Amino acid sequence: MKTIFFTGKGGVGKSTLASAAAWQLMEKGNRVLAVSFDPAHNLGDIFHLKLGHRKKRFKDTNLFLQETNLEKSAAEYIKANMSILQEVYSYLTTINFDSYFEILKYSPGVEEYAALTSMEKILENEQENFDYIVFDTPPTGLTLRILALPRLTISWIDRLIKIRKDILEKRYTIHKLKGNYDEKGTRLAYTEDEDMVIQKLYAMKAKYCAVQDLIRGPDNQVVVVFNPDYLSLRESQRLLEGITELELPIDTIFHNKVDDEKSEIVEGVEKELLKGYPRIRVERVPLINHTEPTCYIMDTDITASFEGGTHSAE
Amino acid sequence: MFKKIFHYVRFFFSAMDQAHRAKVTSMTEFEQKELENLFMLLLMGSFMGVPSPPSFVSAELLPHLEHELKVLNARAKDSFDTLAEMVGTFDID
Repeated sequence: MKTIFFTGKGGVGKSTLASAAAWQLMEKGNRVLAVSFDPAHNLGDIFHLKLGHRKKRFKDTNLFLQETNLEKSAAEYIKANMSILQEVYSYLTTINFDSYFEILKYSPGVEEYAALTSMEKILENEQENFDYIVFDTPPTGLTLRILALPRLTISWIDRLIKIRKDILEKRYTIHKLKGNYDEKGTRLAYTEDEDMVIQKLYAMKAKYCAVQDLIRGPDNQVVVVFNPDYLSLRESQRLLEGITELELPIDTIFHNKVDDEKSEIVEGVEKELLKGYPRIRVERVPLINHTEPTCYIMDTDITASFEGGTHSAE
Repeated sequence: MFKKIFHYVRFFFSAMDQAHRAKVTSMTEFEQKELENLFMLLLMGSFMGVPSPPSFVSAELLPHLEHELKVLNARAKDSFDTLAEMVGTFDID
């Protein structure tokens, strides 16, 4: 299974190109799932279907579509975390325990984590069912934060594991000299096998390493979509910097809405954007009529770059 | 009579042993508590305005950190008298 992430500034045509790519890959005989992570979904509008949190087959083809509801994912994510708390503090269920954790919904980063968890779930459940999963992502900032999360989380977890190991080492020494219990009669875990905290940390690390390997791996590709204008150029430059820093595989960028009458601007923007990224290939996609009801069908074949291998941006 | 004396001698040596072990481990225990406190401070950093790990990491670990929470609480309560604690730990008269 291969994955493709369409990223870029809002309004550059990520959804249109993601839909076109998904359609063309399906036409070439692949089983394709197109998933939208953009809170302002367009996938359903493009295919004239009412989509939801569950995948839906498009007109008896091998193309499936899904719009991830980030709010619902956040709610599921919080519910999963709350169930762990409730499991441990089961005696507190008699009081209105839930309401205290409702606030977690507003804690910074929950939306990104919910998106990542939901992405991870799709990859885990659907990798056998599809040849390609095409992700239509939210605009630049949120996408970069989502893609950076595995690395950020792993570095935090590593730090916590190190401190936890030191704690266990001290506890082991004390246990050897004084016995099993501390001065208050509590039995503390002193080996990694019996310490739930370090076990949880290891489990979390394994989970995020797997996601990181997947998004950095040869079967993933990040695609940047941009337009021939100054704002799009500047944001795409930042996006490329972010993708490079995160060591994500990228080898094609799509210059969308190219108007032949403005060839000077088109070439100028491309030249500026490719400074420092000599190995990246630019694919031009001409301006299409968006009032056309089937804009996912386009003359330009945009799937050529998804069938070969990938490399990093530098 | 002999049995009673033997019992007292045994008790004396056992108490000596315990006192000795307590003295030996007091520094390690102090370090352990400080590390536990630090671990909790890192996890709960957002309450104090310092950078903290992603909230879900803290939320997932929290149910297993009852002991560490007590340590954090005790350290916060005794924080005004750190000097006395240090003096006690290093056995300074």
